[in-house]
Amino acid sequence: MSQEKKNIIKFNKVTKKFGNVTALDSISFEVESGEFIFITGPSGAGKTTILRLILGEISPDSGEVIVDGINVKNLKEKDLPYFRQKIGIVFQDFKVLSERTVAENVEVALAVIGIPETDWGERVKHVLKLAGLLRQAELFPSQLSGGELQRVSLARALSVNPKLLLADEPTGNLDWDTADLIMQLFEKINKEGKTVIVATHNLEIIKKYKKREVHIVGGTIK
Amino acid sequence: MFNNHFKTALGYIKRAPFQAAAAIFVLSLTFFVATFVSVLVYSSSQLLNYFETRPQVIAFLKDNASDAQVADLQHKLAANTKIKDVKYVSKEEALSIYKKATSDNPLLGQLVSPSIFPASLEFSVTDLSFAQDIINQTKGESIVDSVGFTAAVGGEASLNDVVSRLRTITTYVRVGGGVFTGVLALASFTVLLITITMRMATRREEIEILDLIGATKSFIRSPIILEAIIYAVVGVLVGWILSFIAVLYSAPTLVSYFGEIPILPRDALGILTIFGTILGIELLGGIVLAVSGSLLAISRVRKSR
Repeated sequence: MSQEKKNIIKFNKVTKKFGNVTALDSISFEVESGEFIFITGPSGAGKTTILRLILGEISPDSGEVIVDGINVKNLKEKDLPYFRQKIGIVFQDFKVLSERTVAENVEVALAVIGIPETDWGERVKHVLKLAGLLRQAELFPSQLSGGELQRVSLARALSVNPKLLLADEPTGNLDWDTADLIMQLFEKINKEGKTVIVATHNLEIIKKYKKREVHIVGGTIK
Repeated sequence: MFNNHFKTALGYIKRAPFQAAAAIFVLSLTFFVATFVSVLVYSSSQLLNYFETRPQVIAFLKDNASDAQVADLQHKLAANTKIKDVKYVSKEEALSIYKKATSDNPLLGQLVSPSIFPASLEFSVTDLSFAQDIINQTKGESIVDSVGFTAAVGGEASLNDVVSRLRTITTYVRVGGGVFTGVLALASFTVLLITITMRMATRREEIEILDLIGATKSFIRSPIILEAIIYAVVGVLVGWILSFIAVLYSAPTLVSYFGEIPILPRDALGILTIFGTILGIELLGGIVLAVSGSLLAISRVRKSR
């Protein structure tokens, strides 16, 4: 049975400059729905720029970024939050809310997408269990390790049941064992049907997980 | 959703109690003074109104004026909307008033007869600024011999002085109180602005994270604005209550000092109406202050990003 998968992301001759520096130079690639890809390349290659373009944080100078059928450049500012609500994001520096507990960090994401408070309990429990954080639910970020913080970030991203999960160097601040554990979680999430895009320069991770790579060097795909 | 934003706002306050206390303290001081000035403006207006509506103008009638002519003039004056409380004082009544006024020296009373006192029509004007025109008009009446002003009978030249003095005092109270309250309101606005800006600066990362995970502008702004509104409402209530207590405490002394001049309402309903109105206006003003201050703080922080 042939399964024609729809592209969830399409970069079409995208160029992005920051002042005189060309971060991306006419790059084109596509990501199928349900796919797991690595965006690889050395620091400063343009990996994070790609993720920021997908998220609508910045706009391309030329070319098109199509996410789930939407040309991100054409999005109005008022529609941008609703667009982002469909995307889960995990950061290298975790970006968890330091004054909120683990459970509250997840609840914030649910509040953002307008889930009624009465429905939070089950969903929070489910994602915390998936991330292995049930016992840490009432702890504050300052009481957690780096790996646990990254799992909080992941749990928050998953709580909104996104179609697409972006991760920007998610293992950058973690030791190998913890990084491997996080990658296993990404793989598990991908098997559940979500599209996962991980930007990384960690060669060990890339070798072990053997996913399609979009390799960027100096703003172009190699 | 409102409950959630409200809880977040309360959480912000709990996490930085000293900033919250500073903001509430300044706002309380502002609204304490604002309430006090409002009562002062009310009382000074009452005071002015009292003096404005006293019998002020006396039209001394010619001896040959007939009863019919006097009655006609009385009706004519009473029909004028700028005039009120027109009263006829006969020669006998004038003598009686004179004797009463000189009761400490009976000899002065014995030396005069009713014939030397002219009959008169006494009245007051609804607004002191009308007095000069009314006097001029009344002087033109054929049965009127002369017209006097009680503050300076026979000295119309000083009428403007009397009017301007009363008006000056009232203006000082209003403008002085307004400026003082305005300065305090500006201080409150600045403190609120700084507090919210500091709040947002310490929460810049949180705002960025919320932005990235798809929070709408209103989701991000609501707790911040609610926090400012909480400060303002608490500030208004504290300032208003303190001022209310201070006025109630001093009311008996003030009322006794000013005697029949109704600088404050004599009944509880009147007092409550005044203070209720002030509270309503202050709550509205406080909320406007809080919303504008927090929105300005938000826009400043967003610009600096």
